[in-house]
Amino acid sequence: MDTGRQQEAAAAGAQAREPLDIRDHGSVGDAYQTIGAPFVDDAKMSARHVNVYYGEKHAITDVSLDIGRNEVIAMIGPSGCGKSTFLRTLNRMNDIIPICRVEGQFYLDGEDIYSQDQDTVLLRARVGMVFQKPNPFPKSIYENVAYGPRIHGLAHNKAEMDEIVESSLRRAGLFEEVKDQLDKPGTGLSGGQQQRLCIARAIAVSPEVILMDEPCSALDPIATARIEELIDELKDNYTIAIVTHSMQQAARVSQRTAYFHLGKLIEVGDTKQIFTMPEHELTENYITGRFG
Amino acid sequence: MDNNMKLDEHTSQRYNAELEAVRNRVLTMGGLVEKQCRQALQALLKGDAELASEVDGADYEVNDLEIEISDRCTEILARRQPAAGDLRMIVAVIRMVSNLERIGDEAAKIGRKARKLADARDRQAYAGESVHLGEGVLQMLHGALDAFARLDVQAAVEIISRDLEIDREFKSLNRLLISHMMEQPQRVKNMLRVNSCARALERIGDHAVNLCEEVVYLVRGADVRHLSAEEIKRHHQ
Amino acid sequence: MNSTNEGASASHSSAAIKASLKKRYARERRFQWYGRMAVLTGFVFLLVLLVDIVGKGYPAFTQQYIRVTVDFSAEQLGVAPGASEEQLAAANYLGVIKNSLRAMFPEVDSRKEKRQLYRLVSVGAEYQLRDMLLADPQLLGQTREVWLQAHSEAGSYLKGQVSAASAEADRKVKDVQMAWLDQLRAQGRTESRFNTTFFTAGDSREPEMAGIKVALYGSFFTLLVTFLIAFPIGVSAAVYLEEFAPRNRLTDLIEININNLAAVPSIVFGLLGLAVFINFFELPRSAPLVGGIVLSLMTLPTIIITSRAAIQSVSPSIREAALGVGASKLQTVFHHVLPVAMPGILTGSIIGMAQALGESAPLLMIGMVAFIMDVPAGVTDPATVLPVQIYLWADSPERGFTEKTSAAIMVLMGFLIVMNALAIYLRKRFELK
Repeated sequence: MDTGRQQEAAAAGAQAREPLDIRDHGSVGDAYQTIGAPFVDDAKMSARHVNVYYGEKHAITDVSLDIGRNEVIAMIGPSGCGKSTFLRTLNRMNDIIPICRVEGQFYLDGEDIYSQDQDTVLLRARVGMVFQKPNPFPKSIYENVAYGPRIHGLAHNKAEMDEIVESSLRRAGLFEEVKDQLDKPGTGLSGGQQQRLCIARAIAVSPEVILMDEPCSALDPIATARIEELIDELKDNYTIAIVTHSMQQAARVSQRTAYFHLGKLIEVGDTKQIFTMPEHELTENYITGRFG
Repeated sequence: MDNNMKLDEHTSQRYNAELEAVRNRVLTMGGLVEKQCRQALQALLKGDAELASEVDGADYEVNDLEIEISDRCTEILARRQPAAGDLRMIVAVIRMVSNLERIGDEAAKIGRKARKLADARDRQAYAGESVHLGEGVLQMLHGALDAFARLDVQAAVEIISRDLEIDREFKSLNRLLISHMMEQPQRVKNMLRVNSCARALERIGDHAVNLCEEVVYLVRGADVRHLSAEEIKRHHQ
Repeated sequence: MNSTNEGASASHSSAAIKASLKKRYARERRFQWYGRMAVLTGFVFLLVLLVDIVGKGYPAFTQQYIRVTVDFSAEQLGVAPGASEEQLAAANYLGVIKNSLRAMFPEVDSRKEKRQLYRLVSVGAEYQLRDMLLADPQLLGQTREVWLQAHSEAGSYLKGQVSAASAEADRKVKDVQMAWLDQLRAQGRTESRFNTTFFTAGDSREPEMAGIKVALYGSFFTLLVTFLIAFPIGVSAAVYLEEFAPRNRLTDLIEININNLAAVPSIVFGLLGLAVFINFFELPRSAPLVGGIVLSLMTLPTIIITSRAAIQSVSPSIREAALGVGASKLQTVFHHVLPVAMPGILTGSIIGMAQALGESAPLLMIGMVAFIMDVPAGVTDPATVLPVQIYLWADSPERGFTEKTSAAIMVLMGFLIVMNALAIYLRKRFELK
């Protein structure tokens, strides 16, 4: 009796026996529809019909997505799915790549950030970025944090600068650890501390949005936990978009999750929804570890 | 089939095997429980004291399986951090095994009452009354396990709606037993035993409904516990 | 059954591996020996070269002096007592020296021997006496013991470079001179001192009076001009090409040309300098200015190529970090990329400068090969440079110049070592930051 049922169960489970290849699953088609809720009522940043090309390669296909105010949105997907590329379009970091071409509309508080009179320097002050590898400048800890405010002229005297540096380090949860060695090189810190220093550096210019490109991929679990804790605290004051390879991290830190697949935005939704009941098969396959 | 549940095809083959093993153990446990119930009902109807003792004794096997399956689920949670369908599968299984274990308990209870009733001279006169109820419940349990094996939401919803019928059946049996008791007060003790068997059967039906609700959750991701059968039908058929 | 088979094949393959191991290790050892031999050969050649140069060159750092009793009487000098400075400057010092020498060796009377006697002291001795008297006119009428510089041939005998064992015809120091010098040595009238003249004098026809000061100044001014032109232009070009220039055919062409330019023979740059700067722009010949311009043309490709490599090797994450906090492109380059690339740029530049320091061919073309005695005061004064001075001396027949050649090479090598050490120091210092 029960063996019969087990056979039935096996038949129910087996729909395709061949090992899955990510390329076999890209059958979304060019005119596809993002599943879930890509748009929110209170959007800090909005992207509409974004297409990105690297030379001949079509890296991102017709992505439309809102990033809500004071939310943490996680972008996940297999390598080469365009999530980092999309993140970089949000503060025009792709501008420095000569072969990269970006199409579509981007708005920050309703302001077109790709318009002719948008200054990229100002944009990057408003939309800060933290990178995959901790990349402090080869200068002192103080200088690392003070650099941004200095070039933007945010501090008028030494006392104001000290104030900015201290509060930024404090908000990045690093001040207590480094207060006695502010003149030591930032590159001498541990990996986790370096990444928090980079976050402090980004905070120092008082951005409205912080983009994080796999900020924990080079860190150990404890350092990762501290950064995640920090992200949680920062979301009260900033809007955060984070690209991550770790699905658990996306599940832990974000309120909304967007799943990218071969340059397409397949599904967006509440993180809980995505991780318990994703609607799209590709999303399900990715987050349950069926490929990638 | 309206689902997209797949337990295999993970990049990790071992993960596939682990999930598959959990599912197979649940089906084994279900088969065991089903057999227990069938035997308990038989023992009650035929007055087979030996069979009744056997049913009561088989309970430890079910208990062992419950512990084993829970353990496997805990391990998968700890080591694989399942998500989406896999996560729902594990969560559903954890709840299902506790339901199955209670079904086993109820079957054992019927077995114990059946042994007491086996010697009663006038057993034929009233034991037969629970046949209808018992067959209905057994069908529900069987159907629930089939629905789980096939991940068949339609069938599961169908079974959930049958619970009302079982409740009606139980109530009419109760009325029957009460009238028996009033007519023949010397039989009250045995009547009460039959009544508790009927109650146990009704409880098994409820647990079968719970199993079906887990199937709906597993496939659709929707928690339909504490909803009426009508509502479930509206949303999931 | 199955398992024993597997075990057998496993032990079989490990035996095969063991057999091949021996060969592999032998090959590795052999290769290491080839390497060691190559290094050793190179080292031996270097050692031979160094021993040869130092062996030849070190006597040039000492100079021989002969003590002579000089009578500064007005009569001897052929001036009136209380003569003016001009008269004193034109006095007959040579006669005084000749008289003094004759007084020491009164037995000499033949004309030929007298000439040989006079040749014991340097031609420059009369200027030495003149300078003494001009510095202190009170000496007029007095008699003093004076250390006079020995003639280079006499000096080489005193240094022991020439011995009486060789045939008299083959050497310039004659037997009589040797006898006189032995006599003087016995009287304690000879002395060996550190050769300051070598560093304080310009070129001269007389080996004992020749020095490298002009060449040192010339090299300094030339390198200064080279550095001031090549470094800013080279680094700017590298920064522009690496950070700002679009990637297209034109920049590719420029890049190829820069690489080819580094391989152009240096004499071609000399011809260019002659044709363009001297003939067309009419800049002064033999001047460090023109030499520096020519050498900077030669050094530019080296500086551009090494600077580009240094800029390229700056991690892109630094650039991203700077752009990420809103720095402009220029700020990113000057605040972050250049400081990190600076050690590499400096190393490349100093190595380029060291090449320029050792270069002689292009400078020959623009006339820096002239015989110059006066120390240049600026970049437009005629000068020569160390390698050219070495080339000039190596061409001179006098035996005294052989040791000067080697000594100048030692000085040149010393400068190259100092420059390379500076490069290493700068790199270490910048890297620490």
